[in-house]
Order: sequence, then C-alpha cells, then structure tokens
Amino acid sequence: MKTINLLNLTIEKTQQNLRNREYTAQELTLAYLDKIKETDSEIQAYLNLTEELALKQAIRADKMLSHGEAQPLTGIPCAIKDNILVAGEKCTAGSKFLENYIAPYDATVIEKLKNQGAVILGKTNLDEFAMGSSCENSAFYPTKNPRDLTRVPGGSSGGSAAAVAADMCVFALGSDTGGSIRQPAGFCGISGLKPTYGSVSRYGLIAFASSLDQIGPLAKNSKDCQIVFEAIQGKDPYDSTSNDFPKNEKWLNIKNLKIGVPKEYLEKGLDPIIEKNIKSALKFYKDNGAEIINLSLPHTKVALACYYIIAPSEASANLARFDGIRYGELIDSKQSNDILDVYLKNRSLGFGPEVKRRIMLGTYTLSAGYYDAYYKKALKVRTLIKDDFAKAFEKVDLIIGPITPILPFKIGEKINDPLSMYLADIYTVSVNLAGLPAISIPCGSADELPVGLQLIAPAFEEETLFFAADFFEKNYYL
Amino acid sequence: MISKDDVKRIARLSYLDISENELEKFQKDFSDILDYVNQLKELEVANVSETANISFTENVFRKDEEKIFNNCEELKNLWPHRRENYLEVKKILYNEDN
Repeated sequence: MKTINLLNLTIEKTQQNLRNREYTAQELTLAYLDKIKETDSEIQAYLNLTEELALKQAIRADKMLSHGEAQPLTGIPCAIKDNILVAGEKCTAGSKFLENYIAPYDATVIEKLKNQGAVILGKTNLDEFAMGSSCENSAFYPTKNPRDLTRVPGGSSGGSAAAVAADMCVFALGSDTGGSIRQPAGFCGISGLKPTYGSVSRYGLIAFASSLDQIGPLAKNSKDCQIVFEAIQGKDPYDSTSNDFPKNEKWLNIKNLKIGVPKEYLEKGLDPIIEKNIKSALKFYKDNGAEIINLSLPHTKVALACYYIIAPSEASANLARFDGIRYGELIDSKQSNDILDVYLKNRSLGFGPEVKRRIMLGTYTLSAGYYDAYYKKALKVRTLIKDDFAKAFEKVDLIIGPITPILPFKIGEKINDPLSMYLADIYTVSVNLAGLPAISIPCGSADELPVGLQLIAPAFEEETLFFAADFFEKNYYL
Repeated sequence: MISKDDVKRIARLSYLDISENELEKFQKDFSDILDYVNQLKELEVANVSETANISFTENVFRKDEEKIFNNCEELKNLWPHRRENYLEVKKILYNEDN
C-alpha cells in the first residue's frame, strides 16, 4: 500500500495531490481508514466507521477526477458528527436511546457532500444530543484531546474536532447551538465555523434547540472552512428557515477593517494567560493597519442565563418525540402495564443525566406559572442581546474576542458541576442567540495548550470572517 | 432552594422517572442553575419585544404537491413493534372492565 503523509493535510493540498495523480481517492481513503484504526483506540473520536460508503464514494470520486469533473470536495475524506443523518448508517446522537437507530435518509448537507464526491469516513462522538461542552456526556465514551490526552476535546462536536486535529480526516461537520463547533475547535487547535442562522439547512440534523442550531465545518484552517461552507450552504425546501446566501462582493482590505473589541469579553473570569494571546492578536491586526475600536455589548453578562432558559425550553419540546415507541425502545413495552409506563421507563433509561437535567429545566421554564418569569423574559433579553450586536455593527465590520474563558480542562474535572461547565460557553452563546456567523481560529498556545480566537461578523457576512481569519493565519506566525 | 417535591413534579411533567438517589443531585443542580438564571429577574424589559426565533426569512410558501418518499419500509423497520403497516402501541383507552 502507498504511504501517504496525512500530517496537516488541508483540502486545498489534497485537491492538488489528487489532481496531480500523486495518489487516488481510493488510496487516500484507505490511508485514512488505516490511520484511524491505528490512532483512534487512544483518542476515541469516532463512534462508527462507514467504510463501505467511504470506498464507494472514493471510487466515484476517482471517476469524477479522471473525467475532469472534480468539484472542490471530490475525493476529500471527512468525518460527520453523529447527530447528522447519513442514509443507511447508524445515527446515535451520542445517546443510548438511538443506539440502534439507522438513518432512513440523508441530511441535506450530506446529500451535498455526496454529490460533490466527498468521502465520508465515519460518524464522530458528541455530548448526548449535542448537550455539553466536553464530550463527556456521550453515552458511549469520552473523546480525548489529541493535544493532551488527559484533557477534554471540548464539546459538543468534540469527536469532530479531535478527528481533524489528529489527522483522522481532512475536515469534519459539526453542529453549533451555543458554541459546539467553535469551542472544541479552540480546545483542539483547529478552525471551526458557526454560519449565520439559516445559511445552512438543518434538515437531517437531530434537533436540540431549533432556533439556535446550525451545522458548520471544522477544518485545519479558515480557507478549508470556507470551501466546505460554500459546498453546504443555500436554501433548502426541507428547512423553511434556510435562506439563499446574499453574496456581498466586498472589497476587503486589512487597512480598512474596523475591528470591535467588547470590553465585556476581556473582563474578570477570563484566564489572564488567554487574555495575553487575545491582546497579542489584536495588536497584530492593529500593526497591520486595522482600526481597533473599543465598544460595549452591555448584555453579555446575562447572555448565558438567557441561553440556559431558551435552549433547554426548546430541547424539552424537541426531545418529547423520544418516547420509546417510534425511534426504538430500551425496555420491552409488552412487559409494561400501560402507555405511561412505556414512556417513563424508556425515557428514564434512554437519556443520560445532562439531557434529563435540560429536559426538566426546559419543562419547568415553560410550565404554567413560570413561563412568563423565565421563558418569556428570556425572549425579551434575547432581543436586547441581538440589538447590542446590531448597534455595534453600525460602527465595526468585525468583533474579536476569546472563544472560551478557560484552557481545555481535565477529563472529569467539571462533570459533576454542571453550572461551571456551562460557564465555558460564556463567549459563544450570544452569537447563537443573535443568529450571527462566527469563526474560531488558533491563536497560539498557553501552557502548551491551544488558545482560540473568535471572530464575529454581521449576519450573512461570512466573507469578512474568512478574509480576516485567513490574513491572520497567513501572517501572524511569520 | 427548589424542593424535592418540585423536582418530582417537574420530572413527572417531563415523563421522566427520577429515583430517590438521583433526586438529591437534581435538586442541587437545579437550584444552582435557577439561582444563576434568576439574574434575568433584575432586568427591566417591560417595553422590549420578544425574539422567539432569529430566522431571516419571511413566511415560506410552497405548492401542496405530493412527493414520494422511497424509504418507507426503512422508517417502519425502526418501529419496535409493528403489525404490517401499523405501529403497535399500548392501548390508551380503557373501559371499566379492564
């Protein structure tokens, strides 16, 4: 078998190598499958491999390549978070409930990847139903951070981030409800994009909180994120919140860029060692001619509280469908006395503690007597958060800050204290509440652990993110 | 601090059975989280409108046309109990004799 160097292989580089016939898509696919078998017993990024599908797609990709029909993702091996449906393959969402669930159709993003001839290697681990920030809430096993195996890879798309960081795929898809793409990308030292709400179809994504969920790429750099984003975005009749992306052909120049720095993002709570890296990144932009403008997003402090009402409320409704009747059962319902017993037993066995906690929290905040005080109030606060950003973007093109207040933590360190785990999402949730696009890119390291930088743009202005991120990646480390 | 009875009541509304030893942990976690989200109570929002979703689209209409889904059999195979084309579930209506 051909030896292929998979180290830091980007989409652009792979495209080149495939087109120059340095190797075929089939050879590359086998090399990745081998690498996974060799490495993943330690990292545990994957839940299932989809070898048959991968080889079938690789054969198709080789045909496309030899017929001169190659598209940007033809023959590119990727990994898919296991809450996105791939027809005929298991889709567990990291839950016991769906341990044996076989997806009956492809998510729209998967159909798009398949049509381009992308090679799907397997399904990656996640916090159960995407609820968590460490991948420890997976019902199967925790994934480890490839940069330090004693630490978490972040979550919920921790498997996808670890697979990219450990060169077990070229890129991966994840989903981001409150930071689930950006935070693990930051923890694993790679790039991750949370697109504008509605720019990528959610059809075939197992719903967590529908007004916040968005599918996006995790990749080795921002250019790769852009390539994948362009492949998966667009209006889909199966997701009525999806929209066609209004391409703003903007003439971007670093010297004209106005970058906003919210004072709330650099306040108490941020690890000083991370703050140092963020400030150095800001200085870099400034030295290159960008204008740095200090501003305020006054409702940043309440965004997390707002999120932890809205997300569980929506989750409690979305997860009501798991009743032990339609999507598989965990106890033999024939042994139950009545239908209520079937629901109770299946749901109690099927969901893990974090999912139960959120279902109950959401049920509580939506229940009679508490709806106005919690849910309704949170919807109003959401308006304030959205307006904060709108006001800021009247003055700046981009907002920059940290991804997380803390460095990747030890496995087991926060699992028994849900609130301290939630606080890891403090800089990411407001972006979902406002529906904005944001990208996480590596910004050096601290104590030998990766630090992530977050860039936030106005809705549908991913272009600005890609420009500023690419400029940073190409020049910062020179 | 939320009471144990409250936790039990919410669990019931959520169709979850919470065991006695889970109860204490849920009670503590719940109280912590509610204390944290209660900071919203201090905000004055009487004149603020609600944002229930952030969708950038207006109403979306489509023609009411039939589309054939080809994988019905695979969908039905996911049902734990079926009789031909019926999903078999526990009965939900009772009379006084049974």
